[in-house]
Amino acid sequence: MTRSRAIGAALGRRGIELLILLFGISTLLFFLLRLSGDPAAVLAGDEADPETVALIAARYGLDQPLGVQYLRYLGSVLTLDFGNSLRSQTDALALVMERLGSTLLMAGLALVVTALVAVPLGAWIGARPDAGSRHAVNGIVFVIQGIPGYIVGLLLIQLFVVELRWLGSIGNAGPLSWILPAVTLASFLAPKMVRVIAANTSEAMAEDYIRTARATGASDWTLLLRHALPNALLGATALIGTQFAFLMSGSLITEVIFAWPGFGALLIASVERLDFPVVQAAVFVIAILVSLVNAVTDVAFSLIDPRLKGATA
Amino acid sequence: MTHMLPRLRVWTQRMTGDWMIWSGGIVLAILALLTITLGLNPPASAQTGSLLLRFQPPAPGGYLLGTDQLGRSMLARVLAGAPWSLGIALVATTIALAIGTPIGLIAAWVPGWPRRIIRMLVDTVIAFPSLVIAVTVIALLGRGFWPLAMVLGLATWPIAARVVYAEAMGIMKRDYVRAAVLAGVSGPLVVLAHVLPALRPTLMTMFAFTFADMLIAESALSFLGLGVPLSAPSWGNMLSDSREYMINAPWMLFVPAGAIVLAVVALNLVGDGVTARVRRSGGRA
Repeated sequence: MTRSRAIGAALGRRGIELLILLFGISTLLFFLLRLSGDPAAVLAGDEADPETVALIAARYGLDQPLGVQYLRYLGSVLTLDFGNSLRSQTDALALVMERLGSTLLMAGLALVVTALVAVPLGAWIGARPDAGSRHAVNGIVFVIQGIPGYIVGLLLIQLFVVELRWLGSIGNAGPLSWILPAVTLASFLAPKMVRVIAANTSEAMAEDYIRTARATGASDWTLLLRHALPNALLGATALIGTQFAFLMSGSLITEVIFAWPGFGALLIASVERLDFPVVQAAVFVIAILVSLVNAVTDVAFSLIDPRLKGATA
Repeated sequence: MTHMLPRLRVWTQRMTGDWMIWSGGIVLAILALLTITLGLNPPASAQTGSLLLRFQPPAPGGYLLGTDQLGRSMLARVLAGAPWSLGIALVATTIALAIGTPIGLIAAWVPGWPRRIIRMLVDTVIAFPSLVIAVTVIALLGRGFWPLAMVLGLATWPIAARVVYAEAMGIMKRDYVRAAVLAGVSGPLVVLAHVLPALRPTLMTMFAFTFADMLIAESALSFLGLGVPLSAPSWGNMLSDSREYMINAPWMLFVPAGAIVLAVVALNLVGDGVTARVRRSGGRA
């Protein structure tokens, strides 16, 4: 298969997956919402009298048959019209998009921290995994991998905010306040990444082409940096794509812990107050974002992979 | 690969694998025993305490792990939380594997549209952050042991299906499976008698890792206030409680965090240990 066709096929597959996902999620949310109680009562609030509830039901079309409601709902979802937030009466999608930048900033920083930690550490362990000190470090990474990311966040707050009083822990107050949430979010991904890069590197170091390069007199450093590591990083790139969904789960809880103004914190707050237009918009934006990242890594992967380089476009 | 390594290396690998299984297994056995005995019948100090004795730091003579904001024993509470946290993770893992294994096997055995549909479904669900769906569903269905276990299990089965599918595809290429097919053994019988037994190490590893993931997910959801009922002493709820008292009582963070990390590391040890053993013996645990 040629490269451009491979890219086209990958993008097409992602597109179809995204459509199925969005359809599935909207259907699930629609019926769950009906299952959990009368949406009109939720909309009206706890103290509303029956007349108000009926009025609201009529206004939102909630007095129509379920099938009609469902079709109408799918139509509005199709045009990305989620309605207004029940709380602030502003457009739900706009509320979510307002927060997109903060979430992306945090995800980007977390990926940078992950790369800064995982690439050198993974390469170092993977170059000679049997050396005693590296065995020990590998063991430490193993234990750290067992610490859930949000517990890392709580421990960081305990250490740097409560005990040492070096940093604040609330909201976005400039680059200094980015450190703890970024490290917390990175800790969801970094230990796994270290282990993958270490395993890939040590595997690559045992390959024939490394032996050939060694025979031609290449130094250990050249072998590692020029030959083994690029191969190891290729696998790690693919991991970012598949783990991005996990990173989004992580950012949900990280944003809550640090009161970070992203859409993860917004989603949790909206879920708690049953503000469904916002929940729906946030879930949609997350689904589209994850699909985009996966599509981009698919394309990047096929562009970087030297085994596909010979293929004519 | 293994045959190229020196004998010593092979031996240490074997010992490492076994050592991991043993140490992880012993920790898990102790945890299970404590959960069944003390966890299900916790001392009264898990639910009632004296305000005079609030925020007692851990002390060997008094409260071994300290007390919380209501003067309740942290040791009793962490024990009482074990059936919640470990129980939900166990049920969720069982659901995920019970659904994912047959679906993965069907995808591996039946080519054509069943395989295509299953693969697309699985890829689609895996590509979405499961925590996002879980918080939404829990908010609608309500908190509690069973809702949480169901939601986590139903959100996780595609991962099990994918692993089983990939592994089963490899097993079906083995000579003895091909021989059975050529000998005219019926399809379902081949899957049940030949493919499924060969999946045992994969299922064991997956059970351990999934269990760890479910434990983390349960505590994360409870921490967010969208997991078990707020009064239940689950480990996630205890972490959530600890946030207000970080300055007064850091042990309120350390105790449940320690319990979660201990269980997760033990599960990872067992999972990695089985993987190491399988790699060494070339496919059999």
